[in-house]
Amino acid sequence: MLLTLLVSQATAFAQEEATSDTTVQEKPKEKPVRPAFESGLLFDAATTTLYPSKTLEFVIQHRFGVINVNDNNYDMAGIWGTANIRLGLNYSILKNLMVGVGTTKFNKMEDLQLKYRIIEQTRSNSIPVTIVLYEVVGIDGSPDSKWDGTPDAVTTKSYKFGNRMSYFTQLMVSRRFNDQLSLQVGGAFTHYNCVDSVYNHDRVSVSFAGRYKFTPQMSFILSGDFPLDLKNIQDYKKDAASNTVIYDKPNIAAGVEIATSAHAFHIYVASAQGILPQESTMWNKNDFFHGGILIGLNITRLWNF
Amino acid sequence: MQFNLLTLKQIKMKKSINLIAIICTAIMFIAANAAMAQKAGGPWTVPAKYKAMKTTVKAGDPSINTVGKDLFSKNCKSCHGAKGLGDGPKAANLKTSTGNFSTAKFQANSDGELYYMSFVGRDEMPNFEKKILDEADRWAVIGYIRTLKK
Repeated sequence: MLLTLLVSQATAFAQEEATSDTTVQEKPKEKPVRPAFESGLLFDAATTTLYPSKTLEFVIQHRFGVINVNDNNYDMAGIWGTANIRLGLNYSILKNLMVGVGTTKFNKMEDLQLKYRIIEQTRSNSIPVTIVLYEVVGIDGSPDSKWDGTPDAVTTKSYKFGNRMSYFTQLMVSRRFNDQLSLQVGGAFTHYNCVDSVYNHDRVSVSFAGRYKFTPQMSFILSGDFPLDLKNIQDYKKDAASNTVIYDKPNIAAGVEIATSAHAFHIYVASAQGILPQESTMWNKNDFFHGGILIGLNITRLWNF
Repeated sequence: MQFNLLTLKQIKMKKSINLIAIICTAIMFIAANAAMAQKAGGPWTVPAKYKAMKTTVKAGDPSINTVGKDLFSKNCKSCHGAKGLGDGPKAANLKTSTGNFSTAKFQANSDGELYYMSFVGRDEMPNFEKKILDEADRWAVIGYIRTLKK
């Protein structure tokens, strides 16, 4: 419903512009800036970049294990550890609307994605930023028994399909400052339909991302997704004596991007392993600054139809 | 233990067979290479609409060495080479030679003809109309190609 409101608002906005164009004949059509980022993907997160309509994108996201996870250092930079991988397909229906599907190894998560550009930065700076809405619906593919609670006098929990669902909704604002530097900030709301009684269903997070292009094809890329601890959306009682693992670490990622005509490659280190934004936001316990580092590789490939 | 000793005749036959095998392999290798040898692309048939086009980005425009060069590096360099000499890393895999942008003959093509060859393409030369959407950006690339003249 929110999406319908946003879409109709954007159409209304476009209508306004058309009217002003016909009354003032000499005003040249505003040109949008070149994309702020070379790819629609940055580590695990989306950027405000969308491709021309009828573009198909194939995405491979790979995350090795946490480096040196074993005490006796029996590891090769996480390559011998448990790795996570996601394969995805994105299709740009319109120049400002993209839909996608994907599948991830951990928790056998299947996902449906939608990216919608509300407003685009213009070259004349009449619109200084690009604003994009991004939604990821996750469906946990684990066996039913993962959610089967034992019904007792208090709870009558038993498996329902809705238990599998999680939602990540993010609003991103980016600005392309010049040909080298682009920055992006975002705010997101994550919701899991079903969680263990000692965890929260919801989480708010903020994210920061940026790229600095140092050759025509290569950029330094950096991002941080920070879950916030908002007391008024917490719904569990934290038992101080329990051995509950606390998942509240940010996902910090840094690396290099190589962009060609049809590909983008990311080589980087990150701290979360979930790949899907809701998984990274809700369930990350790796501390980037205390050895919680994982090597990641992304490859995207574009086809224009 | 048994030793299988070959007679002198058997050794000579074995050597001949080896030699024949080597010669056959060499012939197949050369034939394969010859078949894959690059052919120069034939002349282009450029529609009149494109022939008449003129660049909107004059020589010396700053966008040529920024936007034009960036887009050339990203989209063209892998086959045509950084200086357009046809020596890009992917060029060797193509059936058609990727040409030489530095020659006077190539540079004698009109703006519109270069535009058609670069963005509409043919055969192994892809269509870039959906990759480089903006007209001014396209002319900046053509402007950069013009600077590759020897």
